Amino acid sequence: MFGWKGKILRIDLSRGNCSVEDIAPDVRTDFIGGRGMGLKVLFDEVDPLIDPLGPQNKLIFSTGPLTGTGAPAGGRFIVVSKSPLSGAIANPCCGGYFGANLKFAGYDLLIIEGKSPEPVYIFIKNDLVEIRPAGNLWGKWTTETERQIRSDMMAESDAWEINNMSIVTIGPAGENLVKFACLMADGGRAAGRSGLGAVMGSKNLKAIAATGTGEVTIADVDGFKNAVMEFLEEGRENKALEKRRMWGTWSLPGRANKTGTQAALNFQTGYSEEFTKYEDPAYIRDRIRVRDEACFGCPFACSKRSRIADPEYPGTTKGPEHESMALLGSNCGFGGLDDICRANYLCNELGMDTITAGATFSCAMELFEEGYLPEKDIGYPLKFGNTEAMFELMKKTALRRDFGNLLAEGGKAVAEKYNHPELYMGIKGMGMPAWHPQGFEVIGLQYATNNVGGCHTKATLPFYEGRKDPAHGVEWTKKDQDYIAVVDCGVLCWIIYHGPLWGEKLLSWLGVTTGIDYTEEGLSLIGERIWNLERLFNLKAGLSAKDDCLPKRITDEPRVNNQVVHLDRMLPEYYRLRGWDEKGIPTPEKLEQLGLTKEGAGVK
Amino acid sequence: MRIKIDHTKCTGCKLCEVACSLQHTEAINPWRSRIRVFIGEDFCLPVIAGPYTEAACNAKGIVMVDGMEMDGCVVCRASCPVKTAFKEPDTAIPLKCDFCGEPPDPQCVRWCEADALTIVN
Repeated sequence: MFGWKGKILRIDLSRGNCSVEDIAPDVRTDFIGGRGMGLKVLFDEVDPLIDPLGPQNKLIFSTGPLTGTGAPAGGRFIVVSKSPLSGAIANPCCGGYFGANLKFAGYDLLIIEGKSPEPVYIFIKNDLVEIRPAGNLWGKWTTETERQIRSDMMAESDAWEINNMSIVTIGPAGENLVKFACLMADGGRAAGRSGLGAVMGSKNLKAIAATGTGEVTIADVDGFKNAVMEFLEEGRENKALEKRRMWGTWSLPGRANKTGTQAALNFQTGYSEEFTKYEDPAYIRDRIRVRDEACFGCPFACSKRSRIADPEYPGTTKGPEHESMALLGSNCGFGGLDDICRANYLCNELGMDTITAGATFSCAMELFEEGYLPEKDIGYPLKFGNTEAMFELMKKTALRRDFGNLLAEGGKAVAEKYNHPELYMGIKGMGMPAWHPQGFEVIGLQYATNNVGGCHTKATLPFYEGRKDPAHGVEWTKKDQDYIAVVDCGVLCWIIYHGPLWGEKLLSWLGVTTGIDYTEEGLSLIGERIWNLERLFNLKAGLSAKDDCLPKRITDEPRVNNQVVHLDRMLPEYYRLRGWDEKGIPTPEKLEQLGLTKEGAGVK
Repeated sequence: MRIKIDHTKCTGCKLCEVACSLQHTEAINPWRSRIRVFIGEDFCLPVIAGPYTEAACNAKGIVMVDGMEMDGCVVCRASCPVKTAFKEPDTAIPLKCDFCGEPPDPQCVRWCEADALTIVN
């Protein structure tokens, strides 16, 4: 067996024990890893109707055959669970070194189940697995938690061993079950969307530290080396990747803003005056960048560590990425770089998803400005651009204090409580990301049909060749969703591998690494199987076609480009192409073709 | 010939560790690599394995790198009895950089896209 380790580490926090299991060979080939394998486990073991924050939910950390191999931009891992924010499937992807370390420790998958009676963290070093008390870590911010775990280890390990260890942690937001809490890894990476920090918090699990001294093997070593060399060479010639390396996602806020397609003022517009300064990304890089920060095995190092001169925000953090800048910045009515960095810093340290946090605050701001939400409830005049109130409320949200207790339920709950659900710019409860769908209709379809909710990373953004033409947008959406599902199985990085640019590379990486002769048709079938199985999970969890929707603002009110998104035209076409009936349920023929007849039984 | 390290350019991708272990062991395992990257919060520091010393030294102390205090054992290139890096994990046999054989062709330099590692003659 090459690429995979073939093992699952299962930790039951209720009983306080762990076990190691083999992964069946056909599960490996059929679901590859990452998002696919994690989904398979969740679907087989977890009743979709359970309470996501109850002990029956499971948290599955899933790596792929390429994780830890050094296949460029292939060092990531996926966390699969049921989301407390959307009630749907959740599978955020995260970078850093944790995935690789889990592989070196000897496991493809780590399954956390049950609930610990008291705060704990998990320590994994090869086959030594310990559940350790975390009373001294509870309440700490994410960076501080990581530092504390490392410094507690000084007695038993040397500097190299401690440094090599990778830590995933939650912040106060996760502990207090904030519905959009995230997991933070390696000092600033986030498994952000879907609120899985709350699932981890509900299990009384503060952190997981993993390190390993094992190896990952490759089927065709020479082929692998040659493929890497070729890839690096091509990468040097590629303008798009050159931009990524230099600017990360910092080239995007200015560009989106210039074209008027940037989320602004709770998606009321697509443009923010204050964002014009970001048209030159050097404005950001020159002011806050400390260094480029790569994930394991990534030659592009697109993410940037940043610092602002403010004693209240000490040290460095990762980002802000484009989505964070837009949702926490322009969408909440401000654009100063230092303020955006402060908001991003708070989210990282408190352990909250920057996107849904931004969507929640912008929703509350609009409710306040419209007079639907009285100041006495909030405790602050929460106007657009009132950063001071926002930062205070962010801390209160993480602790569920005062009005923060309602904000912690997510923007959907806030908008519903004040009788204006249409003012929350989210899908399936999850805040919409930065690209305003009225700029590109197809993005609207991608957001609406995304199994996890309002998220941009499960399809290809429609800037690429062939994807601009709306006539083929639906077709591309289906194709790209299936393709990205396989990218997420690798686990390769969506940022680098989305778009037509590197599609063909996926095949060669999987081939040389695993030695299995995957074909393009085979992989797209796997991608489609994953997409449909996720859909079945959602349907069983009680979601339906009415959840494949967009906020009314997007479909009915032309705010950007004098355009609305005609979801009602695209959706039936999409269902048809997917082989689903008009209610969005996969037909028996489709399920049979994908080998999911048993899984689909009883879904209606 | 030597390998020059410019730690200010290092991104911490660890592809050098991948390249080295692939070259020497036909598999990927950073703990069997002759080059290791120490990941600091604000910078990364690649260190290449030098000769083995039979005794731990007394000079263990704090070294300043870019104004940051570093454990002296991290900056030290030697493989020694008290250090976990630069030793085979199962057998504790010390590891040392051999410039990837004759003629020298250090794979870590070839795989380093950040130009943190360069060859100097």
